[in-house]
Amino acid sequence: MTRIGVYVCHCGLNIAGVVDVEKVAAYAKTLPNVVAAKHYTYMCSEPGQRLIQEDIKTHKLDRIVIATCSPRMHEDTFRRAVAEAGLNPYLTEIVNLREHVSWAHTHEPEKATEKAKALVRMGVARAELLEPLEKRKVNVEKNVLVVGGGIAGIQASLDLANAGFKVYLVEKAPSIGGRMAQLDKTFPTLDCSACILTPKMVDVAKHRNITLLTNAEVTAVNGFVGNYDVSILKKPRYIDEKKCVGCEICTKVCPVKVPDNFNENLAQKRAVYIYSAHAVPRIAIISPEHCLRLRYDKDVCGKCQTACEAKAVNFKQKPETTQVKVGGIVVAVGSEVFDAARMAELGYGRFKNVISNMEFERISDASGPTNGKIQSPRDGKTPKTIAFIQCVGSRDKRFHEYCCRVGCMVTLKQAILAREKIHDNVRIYVCYIDLRAFGKGYDEFYRRAREMDIDFVASIPSEIHEAPDRSLYFDVYDKGTNKLLQVHADMVVLGTGLVPNSDLAKISALFHASRSADGFLLEAHPKLRPLESAMAGVFLAGACQGPKDIPDTVAQASGAAAKAIDLLSSGEIELEPLKAVVDKDLCSGCRICESICPFVAIEMKSETVQGEKKLRAEVIEGMCQGCGACSSACPTSAIKIQQYNNKQVLTQVEAALAETCPEGGK
Amino acid sequence: MSLIDLMSMAKPNQESRDKILARLKGKELVNCFQCMKCTSGCTALKLLELKPNEIIKLVNLGFVDELPSSDIIWTCVTCLKCVERCPQKASPYHVIMALRNLAVEKEAKVPEGFLKAVSEILETGLAEPPQKIVTRKMETVDRTCLRLPKIKSPKGSFQAVFMKAMEEK
Amino acid sequence: MKIAVFWGCCIQANQYAYEMSLRETLPEFGIELVDLQDTTCCGDPVKSMNEFAATYLAARVLSLANQTGLDDMLVPCNRCHFTISEAKDTIRRNAKTAKKVFELLKEEGLEYNPNIRIWHTIDLLHDLVGLDRIKKAVKKPLKGLRTASHVGCQIVRYTDLGRIDNAENPKKLDELIAALGAESVDYPEKLDCCGAALNRSHPDSALSLAGSKLKAVQSLNVGCMLVSCPDCQLMFDSKQREAGTTVGAKLNVPVVYYTQLLGVALGIDEKKLGLQLNQSPIEELVAKIQG
Repeated sequence: MTRIGVYVCHCGLNIAGVVDVEKVAAYAKTLPNVVAAKHYTYMCSEPGQRLIQEDIKTHKLDRIVIATCSPRMHEDTFRRAVAEAGLNPYLTEIVNLREHVSWAHTHEPEKATEKAKALVRMGVARAELLEPLEKRKVNVEKNVLVVGGGIAGIQASLDLANAGFKVYLVEKAPSIGGRMAQLDKTFPTLDCSACILTPKMVDVAKHRNITLLTNAEVTAVNGFVGNYDVSILKKPRYIDEKKCVGCEICTKVCPVKVPDNFNENLAQKRAVYIYSAHAVPRIAIISPEHCLRLRYDKDVCGKCQTACEAKAVNFKQKPETTQVKVGGIVVAVGSEVFDAARMAELGYGRFKNVISNMEFERISDASGPTNGKIQSPRDGKTPKTIAFIQCVGSRDKRFHEYCCRVGCMVTLKQAILAREKIHDNVRIYVCYIDLRAFGKGYDEFYRRAREMDIDFVASIPSEIHEAPDRSLYFDVYDKGTNKLLQVHADMVVLGTGLVPNSDLAKISALFHASRSADGFLLEAHPKLRPLESAMAGVFLAGACQGPKDIPDTVAQASGAAAKAIDLLSSGEIELEPLKAVVDKDLCSGCRICESICPFVAIEMKSETVQGEKKLRAEVIEGMCQGCGACSSACPTSAIKIQQYNNKQVLTQVEAALAETCPEGGK
Repeated sequence: MSLIDLMSMAKPNQESRDKILARLKGKELVNCFQCMKCTSGCTALKLLELKPNEIIKLVNLGFVDELPSSDIIWTCVTCLKCVERCPQKASPYHVIMALRNLAVEKEAKVPEGFLKAVSEILETGLAEPPQKIVTRKMETVDRTCLRLPKIKSPKGSFQAVFMKAMEEK
Repeated sequence: MKIAVFWGCCIQANQYAYEMSLRETLPEFGIELVDLQDTTCCGDPVKSMNEFAATYLAARVLSLANQTGLDDMLVPCNRCHFTISEAKDTIRRNAKTAKKVFELLKEEGLEYNPNIRIWHTIDLLHDLVGLDRIKKAVKKPLKGLRTASHVGCQIVRYTDLGRIDNAENPKKLDELIAALGAESVDYPEKLDCCGAALNRSHPDSALSLAGSKLKAVQSLNVGCMLVSCPDCQLMFDSKQREAGTTVGAKLNVPVVYYTQLLGVALGIDEKKLGLQLNQSPIEELVAKIQG
């Protein structure tokens, strides 16, 4: 005989505005085994919780039913309150009178109240069958894997390492630094990007808690939160990392020219190269697709090997795979830039002087292909008119519907830089749809641009053409003056937005981090949990979760690090007990559950039973999310979710139908 | 009484707006954020002052009634550049076609050329009858002397059916 | 291979050279054209009056094609091709409209067939016949001939409807020109409209648009301008003089249908290709190729 306490929450007016909570509480009192039934304005508040706790003592309650908002809101709160009063927290049942009743049936209060009563009746019936459960503790690795060595990965790694955690920082490229390393200046302060970034890059390389793996990729992730097994593939540089001193003699003797992707293909590098001017680690790398010896597998060239005084060149270097065990993963793989050739009417790819924001950035950078001189790619001359066109590939149903968030600020920055470098000898036009300068100091930055004689046209052109003299021109109907203007420009810079990486599908599958509709990685909750993926132990930082600027990236990275520290610092985590369990006596080894489980949480173990080898399902508790798919599929009811066995579920169905009339619909 | 055009004292007409929306494939014209890409590239802008963004905005705000009687809706060249390039797929061309249909329904002024085409189709099935043309050497020729097949008119039943189709709203 | 053909109004009314050149050149590639019986307008001018009636007319054309029992239909006019394509799409998406259209068709004993594949001259030659076959069939390669191609608007726009070539960078007509041994030059005004649609309401503006484009083409110093639509030819060729007057320029641009040039390259008699009908100054062009 259980002693059930029922608590009906008003939730202010959220529930009480529609449901007659007094009636529901009174009704609850009439249900079997209910010893106490009360209602209160905010059950989740301190007095509300105290009410339950006192009743547990006074009425010797052993089951609690709380009719309130969605369990996703306060189930944990109530469980803790109940536990504090000495009762097993899993003897608490939440009935949802808000999302399932008052919010869904706002205009039918009488019917809503009847439904509320029915749901409480169901909750009470189930409460009787609840079992006490215990959370299980597992040890966790106090190591973290950080995937991606841009500013997000760098910041997260430093925060984690400084907190005493061991970090494996894996970066695909031969150097860390990511997009920020490609920037000249950063908005709105016009700080030199390399100047603020490189100290952090060096810190990462030197930190005793950080193992930096560049030219490497994660190839497999197994295990579960707190206990991940990760395989990392280190691709060969064909250079001995311990011997190379970064002197670059090899790059000077290599005969093969290759487009330099760090410089957005505005310059060329050699088949043996150092990734960038501020590369960390400063170690050369040979490109196997371009190196004559590696590509053709012949004993040719080898000039770099001959020239290298440190004898660091090793054409025979092989890829290496490392296995590491980590407790958490921070995914910080960044984003790519929209390929403006897809918006063919703007002439990108056809006209050399139509360039992207990123290409302008490399031109403006002192360590870039033009040593920081603003000059047109086609003829190297200083442009007399520069036009910026915004939202290329963003806010566009043809390509990406989202706003890229940084495009306006990037263009403002570049327009201001152009003004500062070329002074009065250039006219600068910015064609935009909406100018978004939302952050701290951003609108002031926009004002600064207007004060520098930069012209803003609140309209975008339809197409760009090249005149016979190879200059560019386009028509734009200016909203402000109502004039159809023709802009003649020497250089057109396209505000190309940030887009999800082309290999994000692979990343998504690898780390079980789902993607949102816009293609970026999906956060656990858009408002309240922006740093975590839905997968426990996998955190998100930076542009891979959505386009953003540096301050937001750094904030998110530090936040993700804090989340990982929070998760792992005690050295153990508690696993929710609402997971699948297998009754081995009923398991026939049919493997249906294994094939159905979306979280790869079921293993088949071979056991010898009475001299015969049999397969039995076993649940990997850390991976199991308690979704119940296995439970409904199992033909012998051998696998069940704790607290959701057949009886516990079916009793609710019976309770639901208990007071219905034969005609229905009333 | 939430909005008035103080120049003309016109008020928005939601019913007319809904009529236009009902004629369109989708409702994307409400997504227009006045980026001006359509007008910047409009073939009819320079010569005839057609501003597709303005047409869309007028319809969106409900100022539909002034459009069917205006000549501006007949200036569209139907080049379809605005349909191709609009980032929100608001498709001004389709809105203009819907406004033209509304003009016909309201018996506003319709350019002669279209009325002629319709009456020609009623009579012969084709919008234009076969003509005699002149070669560069000033000789007059027609389909027969060029050995092209004779054009036959459709049977009588076509006329009645076509008229029925024209009655459809 | 038998293909149904819907000529539409303009071609049958005065753009005879297009019909002639198609009837002469396609058989060279084994294509037999089957005319539809008792055709009516595709509905293009009716669209501005009553879009439903236009959809019905286009569906009627497809029903007539259905009567031939053939799976493919050539629609050489850009506007007809667009109108029929849009009607197909409307009927596919909107069950209510489709029902009303089918009822009207039934009154004439006609039945709609959604599976008829619609071709335009350009993709018929480029994709169905193929560049290789054309190259092989050329008897008089047009080496050294520089041309300006004008593919038109409604045949490449709008992409979401499914058109025959890339809207911003159409290449098929240029490749067809190259298959004849000639060169197709790029120019900023390439995708500009001929203005024909304004003939019914603002004829002067139509001429002005055509004149502007012709002026631009004239400055390219090409041997000719190539079109593949009767409306475009009407503006650039038949009305070239008027267009020149409207924009205040003396225009001397030879304008021919691609199929006419194709015919000449295949060695077909000028007269059969309707070259006597072109109003623009094409003598030099023809002489050059023949000689």
